[in-house]
Amino acid sequence: MAKKTYLQALNEALGSEMERDERVFIIGEDVGRFGGCFGVTQGLFDRFGEARVMDTPITESVIVGAAAGAAASGLRPVAELMFVDFIGVALDQLFNQAAKMRFMFGGKAKVPMVLRMPQGAGIGAAAQHSQSLEAWFMHIPGLKVAIPATPADAKGLLVSAIRDDNPVIFLEHKLLYGLEGEVPEGEYTVPFGQANVAREGSDVTIVATSKMLHTALCAAETLEKDGIKAEVIDPRTLVPLDIETIVNSVKKTHALVLAHEAVGFAGPGAEIAAQVAEKAFDYLDAPIIRVAAPFCPVPFSPPLEQAYIPNEASIIGAVKSIR
Amino acid sequence: MTTAAILANPASGKDIRRLVAHGSVFDNQEKVRMVRRLLLGLARTGVERVIYMPDAYGIVPRALNSIEVPLLVEAIEMPVANSQEDTIRAAEIAETLGAGVLVVLGGDGTSRAAAKGTREVPIMALSTGTNNVFPVMIETTVAGLAAGLVAANRLPREATCRRACLLEILMNDEPADIALVDAAVYTDLFVASRAVWDMDKVPRLFMTRAAPEAIGLSAIGGQLTSILPGEPRGLALTLAAHNGGTPVTAAIAPGMFATVHVQDMETMLPGRVFAVEESPCLIAVDGEREVIVRRGQRAGVRLSTDGPLVVDIRATMARARDARLFTGPANGKNNHEKRRGS
Amino acid sequence: MSLSKEKMVAMFKTMNRIRLFETKLQEFFAAGRIPGFVHLYIGEEAVATGACASLTDTDSITSTHRGHGHLIAKGGNLKLMMAEIFGKSSGYCKGKGGSMHIADFDLGILGANGIVGGGGPLAVGAGLAAKYRKTKDVTVCFFGDGASNQGTTQEALNLASAWKLPVVFVNENNGYGISCPQCKSMAVTDIADRAAAYDMPGVVVDGNDVLAVYEAVNEAVKRARKGEGPSLIECKTYRWRGHFEGDACTYRCDEELKEWIAKDPIPRFEEKLVENGVLKADGVARIKAELAAELDEAIAFAEKSPLPEPSALLDDVYA
Repeated sequence: MAKKTYLQALNEALGSEMERDERVFIIGEDVGRFGGCFGVTQGLFDRFGEARVMDTPITESVIVGAAAGAAASGLRPVAELMFVDFIGVALDQLFNQAAKMRFMFGGKAKVPMVLRMPQGAGIGAAAQHSQSLEAWFMHIPGLKVAIPATPADAKGLLVSAIRDDNPVIFLEHKLLYGLEGEVPEGEYTVPFGQANVAREGSDVTIVATSKMLHTALCAAETLEKDGIKAEVIDPRTLVPLDIETIVNSVKKTHALVLAHEAVGFAGPGAEIAAQVAEKAFDYLDAPIIRVAAPFCPVPFSPPLEQAYIPNEASIIGAVKSIR
Repeated sequence: MTTAAILANPASGKDIRRLVAHGSVFDNQEKVRMVRRLLLGLARTGVERVIYMPDAYGIVPRALNSIEVPLLVEAIEMPVANSQEDTIRAAEIAETLGAGVLVVLGGDGTSRAAAKGTREVPIMALSTGTNNVFPVMIETTVAGLAAGLVAANRLPREATCRRACLLEILMNDEPADIALVDAAVYTDLFVASRAVWDMDKVPRLFMTRAAPEAIGLSAIGGQLTSILPGEPRGLALTLAAHNGGTPVTAAIAPGMFATVHVQDMETMLPGRVFAVEESPCLIAVDGEREVIVRRGQRAGVRLSTDGPLVVDIRATMARARDARLFTGPANGKNNHEKRRGS
Repeated sequence: MSLSKEKMVAMFKTMNRIRLFETKLQEFFAAGRIPGFVHLYIGEEAVATGACASLTDTDSITSTHRGHGHLIAKGGNLKLMMAEIFGKSSGYCKGKGGSMHIADFDLGILGANGIVGGGGPLAVGAGLAAKYRKTKDVTVCFFGDGASNQGTTQEALNLASAWKLPVVFVNENNGYGISCPQCKSMAVTDIADRAAAYDMPGVVVDGNDVLAVYEAVNEAVKRARKGEGPSLIECKTYRWRGHFEGDACTYRCDEELKEWIAKDPIPRFEEKLVENGVLKADGVARIKAELAAELDEAIAFAEKSPLPEPSALLDDVYA
């Protein structure tokens, strides 16, 4: 295994899948020679040419809709929106068209497309370029939602997403692009619906996604020094959701903390909390606690933005309130 | 009251020749701007009233949106059918309302419709169509000046207007329709999208004029001879499908060339009927499939010198200069505007 | 015009097939025999028929909420359509879609669409797929005057033109976006004018003249197949019924409807065919009888088909 960044891992997955299957192509704004807003598609234009790495105008509805139409016509597009926040412009094409085609048409359509979108706060990009919107996509039947936290998962999940026959929302955290980690060489896939137990423990279960996984792992390290052994789980895909791994962990630890950067109110943690309450209520010794962003837009100024993003201290505080 | 009429066709410049050839999409907003400048020109000539053909878009009312002109502008009272009948009817009514000039915005087809409505009111046809042989391409500000001078009778009629020829389409010896520029026998049964571009289906072609710089079917004749507008003769061509005769290449639509084989060429003198041998068929007039010749019907084409009266803009403006109509102080009606402008 | 007699007769049949189908649905809806709501295509038959006459099974269409005519013109199976509209498990979509969501991918029907303006981007995608694969297939995007004001439609026109995709945009201008007349919803009378903004040909045709529609779309399809890019063809037409069945149509007057009924595209075509000897009067009667029998069969199929089992609810959410 070699050390690679999250960004390099994504780039490798795109390149290898394009080599493997000529139906795979990339479509989005500035994904060509420019290499993508954050550089994820760098070098692919030179390797595969403009016929397979397509620069679009600023036209999100058509990026998403053309990907859906091309996917329904037998291709396997990987579309990129520069920021997840821009999905608002294109939402109809995603949730009324791409997500519903198969069901509405009685199982006739296949829409094998991936929609890659960077999300997350922390770079001073303010309210319209910093959100974490995974709960929106989780709410629409027909979509799958992958949200990798590590370079290895970035590669393995993206390969799985491209090979999946459904529209997959692929959410990358922009502050993870530079994160280094071991990435398996060659053919490597991470199946959807299989959570990653990132750290084993016996006293509390912390479910954390995306960048928050790393915050949770730091918190677990600190808690260990105080004698609290936290088990940290990354679901990796929110749809399908590996609730079984989470429930089994709760049955062992009897306590659950959910950590994500999305707004807490009606956020992804709310769904996990509800399912655990339904499936393992009797195993819980304490209320389920959510550590999430407050119910306000993402602010601009650094001290405000830092106050907005959940951190290690908030996870430790949550755990200590029940353990 | 000195009256000018405006007939602006909202449908011109949008037919299939955008697809089969390379015609421009001539949007109605551009017609609005043309009419606006036309009105500003008319207002400087002594015209008091402008009457216009109503249309669903409201070309003339929209033209008034951003200008103030000392003109009484009124719609002709008539139902709007959204077809060429509108132009015919508006031209007829304009004559009864005493219009001194009929400014037509459209192509050959629109001009023909106007001429079906009146032969007595001088017509000034301004190009917004596709094949424009009859209408002229000229800045409408100046066209407005010339039209206004004609309407206000400020110059002798013989110096400003000339009578054009036309082709009468006869059905069982009775006049059934007219063409201002050309008439083509078209061996198909269906009018469909109207335009003519498949020259294999045109065995006979008649024209009132021929010029080598023309666009459209008459350009074929223009490559063989010249007939000036108003000259009392026409040209009848017999075309062969592929071989024989003289191959002639001409621009039959914007951006579109055709090579036809001219087997026979005859001069049309006024009054002589040229029988149409084909039946059933269609006769395209001024580039549009229009007249249906049913099986057993006897069609013919005849040149007439009794066409519409046409304003010669260049001659009118030259005569106006010679008469010093725009030279010297305080001429025209908009002196206040003049002061403000200078 | 290069249409064979057989082709013209087939087009005549298609127009009548649509009219019969829709008229029957009007009856069924009034009698409370079909769930949900329907948007009928009566009066606009020439557009779908003329537009689809140049397409093959590998060419695609994207359709609209008023889609029955498009589906029938593209070769859709009446039995499966009728069963779907009845909500039966034997329907095109196993009862999951209904009137507004019928698709038949084998025939290139990429789906009717409940969202006004939803089809444009999908048509761009289908056109992109054809160009990507270097096939000669063409996609026809049907959209209404209402949809032409949606950003999705304008974005689709823009990208199709920028990338020279083989898409023919067929606008069905029936004068109203639900109750809102065109004069209140846009500052232009001709949607084809908008083509100029995207440097593509824009053509206005009489949408009640099936041959005029055919001729224009045929040229646009040829152009698209040659790789010369998209076109916009505006077909001026009128819907005889309301926006949906049950619409009281308080926003328009009877005279207007009467004027358009006088321009009924079906007798217009019939007269031309009879006059030119393509069809004889008894041939017309025979065709209409055949079509009525075919529709009866479709209705019988739909009626005797079972309703879906509730257990099928969760099928086909994912592939």
